[in-house]
Amino acid sequence: MNAIEIRNLSKNFGPKQAVCGLDMTVPMGAIYGFIGENGSGKSTTEKMICGLIPTSGGSIKLYGKDYGDEGVRAKMGVLIEAPGCFPGLTVWNNMMLQAANLGIPNAEKEVIKILKTVRMEGAAGNKYKNCSLGMKQRVGIAMALLGNPTLLILDEPLNGLDADGMRIMREIFTDIVKDGQRSILVSSHLLGELQKVATHYGIIRHGKMIVEMTSDELDASCRTYVALQSAEMNKTKMLLGCKYSRVEQDEAGYIRVYDITTPEEIVTYLYENGICVTEIKTDKIGLEEYYIDLMKEGR
Amino acid sequence: MTSSREITFESPTFARRIKGMLGVDFYRLFHTPLFYIFLAIAAIIPAMVSAMTMMPDQNGQTMEPLYSNVWQIMAANEPLYVIRTISDYANMNMVFIFGGIMVSIFIGHDYKSGYVKQLFTTHAKKQDYMISKSLVCAFAMACMCIMYLFGGTVGGLLAGYETDVNVGSLIIAILGKIIMSLGWASLYTFLNVIFRRYFGVSVASSFFFGTGILIIGAAAIVEGINLPTSFLNIFLYGASVNANLSSEIGSLLICIVVSVAWAVIYNVAGTKLLNKCDVY
Repeated sequence: MNAIEIRNLSKNFGPKQAVCGLDMTVPMGAIYGFIGENGSGKSTTEKMICGLIPTSGGSIKLYGKDYGDEGVRAKMGVLIEAPGCFPGLTVWNNMMLQAANLGIPNAEKEVIKILKTVRMEGAAGNKYKNCSLGMKQRVGIAMALLGNPTLLILDEPLNGLDADGMRIMREIFTDIVKDGQRSILVSSHLLGELQKVATHYGIIRHGKMIVEMTSDELDASCRTYVALQSAEMNKTKMLLGCKYSRVEQDEAGYIRVYDITTPEEIVTYLYENGICVTEIKTDKIGLEEYYIDLMKEGR
Repeated sequence: MTSSREITFESPTFARRIKGMLGVDFYRLFHTPLFYIFLAIAAIIPAMVSAMTMMPDQNGQTMEPLYSNVWQIMAANEPLYVIRTISDYANMNMVFIFGGIMVSIFIGHDYKSGYVKQLFTTHAKKQDYMISKSLVCAFAMACMCIMYLFGGTVGGLLAGYETDVNVGSLIIAILGKIIMSLGWASLYTFLNVIFRRYFGVSVASSFFFGTGILIIGAAAIVEGINLPTSFLNIFLYGASVNANLSSEIGSLLICIVVSVAWAVIYNVAGTKLLNKCDVY
């Protein structure tokens, strides 16, 4: 059984097709990174899963049941855009209200536990409107965690978080799914951060799923490269360009030679052409570069 | 990745859902300044209108008080669907105008904060939302009616007006208007669901419908062609006007039936609308 199973999902806003024939499978226990450009249909898809906007076609199943099933919905936690907090109330009161809405027994105990989880126990008395952006994000996550949800849908939860906040968030995500029954669908543009926790990926473009893969599959798909620096960078680049199919200079100033794993071959080749390599390393492209490559291919 | 343990999904009952939602809405009502500001408005305005407002006499020569009796600020002496003077209009029905604005702000916060999104993503049903908002806002408007009674009475007494009244009719008129709060609150909830993306429009529409201008206009036409105006009692404004200082028990029954009937209609319509359209 999958946590989310979407088949042929579509959504039209008048003549504009925001999502067309989308298929998606989020296995139980997965942290599913949902990636796409702005306007690609990520938020629309998430809103349809959440029942906030009606679908134009297709099916959505959550834990094998129709997505409208009240029982399943009661076990969903969501952070899409605003977290649903009233600005004039304190963080504690907002959490307690959400707990009351969900009919959580021993609400105080549960709220204390979750505030500790998101490292907000010291700020429980703060009015929501006085919280910083990062704190608001954490409160949003805390709201979504109330009621021990089996499925979390988080839209850009990492925005506005500092380095420590991101680390905490990664720990929270890993902790949530460790029993193998709960799943997280998370969309983010911070692909480097996402890659540190995601177990599955789905890449959407123009409302269609173009790739779905596990983190292992991504790892296998990511190209290897050799990055180097020399005293004569321009000449080096030109020489390597003559021999290898893809040679680029990255932002850090290194020349990258893709799809090659033996730096010795390059060093020898350059030495024979009178160039001395000053620094060399092998590496793999990350999710971000994989994604950018994929987007370039589609254009 | 998968586990052998089965996950069970328990559907919350209607009672549990509505209890949670009412709890939240009542908490918000009592813990934000909005409600108290509108209670104050509901008390101050009739006190000021009653004690301080003057208007020219029939000849336009001298200014005289708007009312001669304390209780005229609560309800008209008879069901006047067509307004001829400001005193015909300025009674407890004004609460339904302030109330409409309060409901718009109250519901507007739901959308602005993203609370509605949280609500509808989890187990809450659209029908629960309509019911909860209608009941809480009806309660708020009923409280405003009581504050209006208090403010109007104090203002009238300070102005030294007469206090003679048929007590039974007065009680029926006030109870009738309090009962009408449910119908009005449901109308405003419905309007705010329609204009959920446009806060300004929802405030304006609440104000527009709250003034009863459509019924006043309809009454003028009906009177002009000599038809009985009493059939206007099937509408919220008509039934509210019908609760007056010469009311009998029948007026109260009309208020109960009309208020409940319109509350059901607006709740069903609002639920259907929310089910069909984007929540946001």
